[in-house]
Amino acid sequence: MFDDIKTGDLTWVGHETGRADLIEKLTGEATFVSDMELPGMLHTQLKKSPYARARIKGIDVSKAESMPGVRAIVTGDELDYHIGLYIVDKYILAKGEVRHYGEAVAAVAAETLEQARAAAEAIVVDYEPLPPVLHHMEALKPDAPLVHPDLGSYSYVEAVFSPKAGTNIANHMKVRKGDVEKAFAESEYIVEREYSCPSVQHVPMETHVAIAQWGKGDRVTIWTSAQSPFTVRNLFCHAFKLPHSNVRVQVPYVGGGFGGKAGIGIEPLCAVLSRKAGGKPVKFQASREEEFSLLPCRSALTYRIKTGVSAEGKIMAQHMSMYWDAGAYADYAVNVTRASGYSAAGPYEIPNAWVDAYTIYTNKPYGTAYRGFGHVEFHWAVERHMELVANAIGIDPVEFRLKNALKPGSRTLTGEEILPSTGNVVKCIEEAARRIRYGSITPEEEARQKKTGWKIGKGIAALHKAPAIPSFTATAVVLKMNEDGSVLVNLALTDYGQGTYTSVRQIIAERLGFPIDKIKVAFESDTDRDPYDWQTVASKGLVLSGNAAILAADDLLEKAYAVAAEALHANPRDLANDGDKVYIKHHPDKSVRFAAMAVGLALPNGNGIGGPLIGVGRYIAQGLTNLNKETGEGRPALDWTYGAHGIVAEVNEETGEYRVLKIASIFDVGRAINPDLVRGQAIGGMMQGLGTAVCEGYIYDENGRLLNPSFTDNKIPTAKDLPLEVECAVVETPQIDGPYGARGVAEQSMISVAPALGNAIQKATGAQLTHMPMRSEDVWRTLQNKEPIDNWITKSPVGSCRSAPEARRRDE
Amino acid sequence: MKIKLTVNGLLYERECAEHRTLLRFLREDLGLTGTKEGCGMGECGACTVILNGHAVNSCMVLAAEIDGATIRTIEGEANGPSLSDIQLAFEKNNAVQCGFCTPGMVMSVKELLAENAKPSADEVKEAIEGNFCRCTGYTQIVEAVMDLTGRPEEKGELDHV
Amino acid sequence: MPMLYEFRYLAPKSVAELTATLREHASDGKILAGGTDLIPNIRNGLQKPGFVIDIKKYDGADRISYGADGLSMGPAVTINDLLRFKDARDRYPVLCSCAHELASHQIRNRATVAGNVVNASPCSDMAPALLCLDAQAVLRSGNGERVIPFSSFFTGVKKTVLQPGEFLERILVPAASAGVTGRYLKLKRIAGHDLGIVGVLMTKRDGEIRFGVSSAAPTPVLVDTVTTKDSPDEAAAKVLASVSPISDVRGTKEYREHMIGVYARRLLAEVR
Ligand SMILES: Cc1cc2nc3c(=O)[nH]c(=O)nc-3n(C[C@@H](O)[C@@H](O)[C@H](O)COP(=O)(O)OP(=O)(O)OC[C@H]3O[C@@H](n4cnc5c(N)ncnc54)[C@H](O)[C@@H]3O)c2cc1C
Ligand code: FES
Ligand code: FES
Repeated sequence: MFDDIKTGDLTWVGHETGRADLIEKLTGEATFVSDMELPGMLHTQLKKSPYARARIKGIDVSKAESMPGVRAIVTGDELDYHIGLYIVDKYILAKGEVRHYGEAVAAVAAETLEQARAAAEAIVVDYEPLPPVLHHMEALKPDAPLVHPDLGSYSYVEAVFSPKAGTNIANHMKVRKGDVEKAFAESEYIVEREYSCPSVQHVPMETHVAIAQWGKGDRVTIWTSAQSPFTVRNLFCHAFKLPHSNVRVQVPYVGGGFGGKAGIGIEPLCAVLSRKAGGKPVKFQASREEEFSLLPCRSALTYRIKTGVSAEGKIMAQHMSMYWDAGAYADYAVNVTRASGYSAAGPYEIPNAWVDAYTIYTNKPYGTAYRGFGHVEFHWAVERHMELVANAIGIDPVEFRLKNALKPGSRTLTGEEILPSTGNVVKCIEEAARRIRYGSITPEEEARQKKTGWKIGKGIAALHKAPAIPSFTATAVVLKMNEDGSVLVNLALTDYGQGTYTSVRQIIAERLGFPIDKIKVAFESDTDRDPYDWQTVASKGLVLSGNAAILAADDLLEKAYAVAAEALHANPRDLANDGDKVYIKHHPDKSVRFAAMAVGLALPNGNGIGGPLIGVGRYIAQGLTNLNKETGEGRPALDWTYGAHGIVAEVNEETGEYRVLKIASIFDVGRAINPDLVRGQAIGGMMQGLGTAVCEGYIYDENGRLLNPSFTDNKIPTAKDLPLEVECAVVETPQIDGPYGARGVAEQSMISVAPALGNAIQKATGAQLTHMPMRSEDVWRTLQNKEPIDNWITKSPVGSCRSAPEARRRDE
Repeated sequence: MKIKLTVNGLLYERECAEHRTLLRFLREDLGLTGTKEGCGMGECGACTVILNGHAVNSCMVLAAEIDGATIRTIEGEANGPSLSDIQLAFEKNNAVQCGFCTPGMVMSVKELLAENAKPSADEVKEAIEGNFCRCTGYTQIVEAVMDLTGRPEEKGELDHV
Repeated sequence: MPMLYEFRYLAPKSVAELTATLREHASDGKILAGGTDLIPNIRNGLQKPGFVIDIKKYDGADRISYGADGLSMGPAVTINDLLRFKDARDRYPVLCSCAHELASHQIRNRATVAGNVVNASPCSDMAPALLCLDAQAVLRSGNGERVIPFSSFFTGVKKTVLQPGEFLERILVPAASAGVTGRYLKLKRIAGHDLGIVGVLMTKRDGEIRFGVSSAAPTPVLVDTVTTKDSPDEAAAKVLASVSPISDVRGTKEYREHMIGVYARRLLAEVR
């Protein structure tokens, strides 16, 4: 909508404006759930499993129950609620069997944290340890233990997912396009490699925290640090079979989410404790260690790609096998698999494609949505693969990318045609290359190499991502005019830092023609007071809520103009407004103020007309379809955001140490509604992508115990880890159905940072890295052709550089 | 035991358990919840406050051991109703996203500027390396400090291709 | 919100009171300095002392001075106190560069030099410098004082010669070590604050070369067998002969050995 208006002709959209939420955050006044304390509130501590897989033979709470301050103890036995987003496979507390290290088996609510901890420590659990299945590739073997022997009896979203009863496969997603076998036979080159990455943590700075109060009459109120209040409510009501009107979910300020708080988490646990404690509010906040092992992480991935290329360097065929490690529960991982499956080739045209994407249960903490929704992980594979294929066939990797990039007229894996308005990945790649002076070493860089002895290399990686959402995803925005003519905005999309509220505010100001400080977006989302929003995920927030905001503004104006028309005896068509009053265009001196109409206009004789001015805008994703379960055909993408990163890195060949000298990140955002915020998303995601690339990852021992569940051994990047130079730019190919032409960019910024770095390291040294993260030791081992270190699961290798360079010419 | 502390210029006296950390004392006993907890292990800096002039991780300090001390927290940063210079620079430079690291970050910057009025960008990074921020990627925070200390030329832009 | 396990807090106001308190609580007491090791341990339940004895509250505990004996640091002297002390910066640059590598600014504002060595972690960043500079530990208990060179202070992973009831009263870095130069190379997983994968310090005084190595053996290691006549390879071989790194989540034994060798060669090559 309004994609064709030039930014220069717009007042608020496309320009920097102050953020709506900063004063509270800068002064410490913003209240997060972790800051909340309700009268009579109880505190929770958990008893957690030290085993990856064990039968629970008995839980003795007798001592704990009689300890001071203890108000409620619950164990899995007494709870019979199944929870699940897409596959209903999880209990609130482990029941019968624990399925991963750190899983909760019992919970205590007590007057103080100390009392709760003492009681939790006094609970005795009798376990019979069982052999766990830890590696997702092992879990595929016919004799592997089953993580969910009852998978066949679970309910799930049947239109979209395909679990395989009697196996560890929670979902199998397929794409079949063209004739792969024939195209391979006709290919000049065939290159096949395998890539992998471990599980990682989102690391929101505020860990998961919730307070629940189960009142008399089964009325439940929940305050939670979550991304999606309506999803929490919906899944909660399903699990407990409560009417939706009984449950209220409130989300105040949220200290980061990144997908880890996208669905439902600890809320049901707090609720059952509160119910058992007679309705007192119960709070649980995960410790940082629990954030790593109790709460979900990002799935590990093994990705095997076989590519057939013509003599001219055009990709003819690609065979793609993705193995996603769901961990103990399917949660979002099944949908990560689906979204990754239909985007599996990256922003390239693959005329003949075959994708098998599996979600696999293992006895590890479970995987969920994480910024990029699978695309960070599989782009690592795809964009390293593009580099290695180009090397194998002797063509420049960027040239190879440009040759095969999706362009208008190309068709995606699911058969969707790319249009000129879809976006321009070619321009993103070219701009990234230009900004790092790809393909050359400048005199300064030459001098630097001489001085340091470290080798400089440059790499490019491209990316694409569409929102992974149900085909009928919807949202709404409500505008309420205040007595002074200012406007309050209600929406249930949450803003936990991305700045969506600021951009929505700009859109509303633009559309209404109001000064921006007359628009306030209410912080705190509340299912009792806000209109529905599905979830704050998938980089769809601005697109869907922005459109709803435009429609809400139109609706509000229409209603105001109707009142004004009556008051001014004019036709509404002839009216305009200046932000303060509505006037007749050809008699500008005839006007009525918004303030006068806001809650109903009093005519000179005292009669009232109108009533409180409220504008409603609803928007639902347009034209999306389910995918054919056998071929993947269909329309899954609301929009495609393209991008590319260029990285200049210097590497010490002797030690494997490296530094990022420069990164240039380019995205086709359609329109940057607020350039400062786009830059914030671009750099924030880039740094998170670097963390994934450089150091982050879960390390388990052979028994499935997580060895690094804290910041001591699970580092994230600090300010000192910033590349020396950081540049961001946007291409603006307007999205016709995006608000003012915009598309999302929150996740895209994190995608393909790792392969850009891997490509740069390879350019500098020749190291063919295929596993991320790339610790200096990994780089060193790769350069030395040493066996990879396999400490992601100690003694069960998923190390780097495992796959052999299997490039061959057809006739060899 | 009885603890007396001056926090943001006000004197507080409270009875307090001897194993209570300063972080919990501030948040739970004094209701000053602006200071956050991100790890409780000294790693993340969300709990940073200024203790007798120096930035410290309040999750690793006992309230008992600082009886009589002077503390500054984020709640004392604004000048009455208006934001302080540091806060204004953060606001202007979009240096805040979720805001959870922000109170600690501002405290670290405050100590830095008290000791070094014109830090280089590297010195800023070093001063805040103990403050994790998962959202911003730090760049706009560093730019805010550089802007404040008179080197706005360090500010980057979003370019349009 | 995590919490600490309960204990009683004691703050002796004199050395005599401190020694008496330590004697009384020899089995159930723990000394608190900056708390950056102790508090996380209590939080995680790794240590559950009944009494926490604050060593910072007697007069002079935080004294740092330079005189004829050299540099003297009381048990409450923090890493940043050291870095802010001009005599230390001017005369003991090696000590300061190791101190600078330790943790983050906030931690350095609390962590003490004494606590770092008493904690006796193999990855202590202060130990290599104190070893190379011939520093001594002045230990005190009810039975009096004893002076132990750091070369015989560490006895194992997190173990020292300190006896129950005894405390580290002062660290002495001799005047003879003033002016010693050197460089500390610390390999980390990120550029920001992190424990070392390995750390190698090389110091040089009047042609004498020494290496101090962290994260490479059960205790920090001093190597004083290398001479300026050695080739970098010979130096590396000698350093490697004195260490015995392990494989853990931060890195393998193989890589640690490789990096210690690289650092030793690099450092020696710089002075030759
Ligand atoms: C986030 C973080 C990062 C870190 N990074 C590093 C790093 O990079 N490099 C590094 O070397 N260390 C690092 N450390 C550990 C470092 O902070 C400590 O080793 C510190 O120097 C210990 O000093 P303290 O005063 O805090 O000791 P405390 O914790 O107070 O005490 C440590 C131990 O020594 C005992 N003790 C203390 N003083 C005395 C004394 N005078 N006599 C007898 N016993 C005593 C205590 O009882 C306790 O057992 C890090 C710690 C944290 C939390
Ligand atoms: S909460 Fe104190 S450093 Fe993380
Ligand atoms: S703004 Fe979210 S952690 Fe810094």
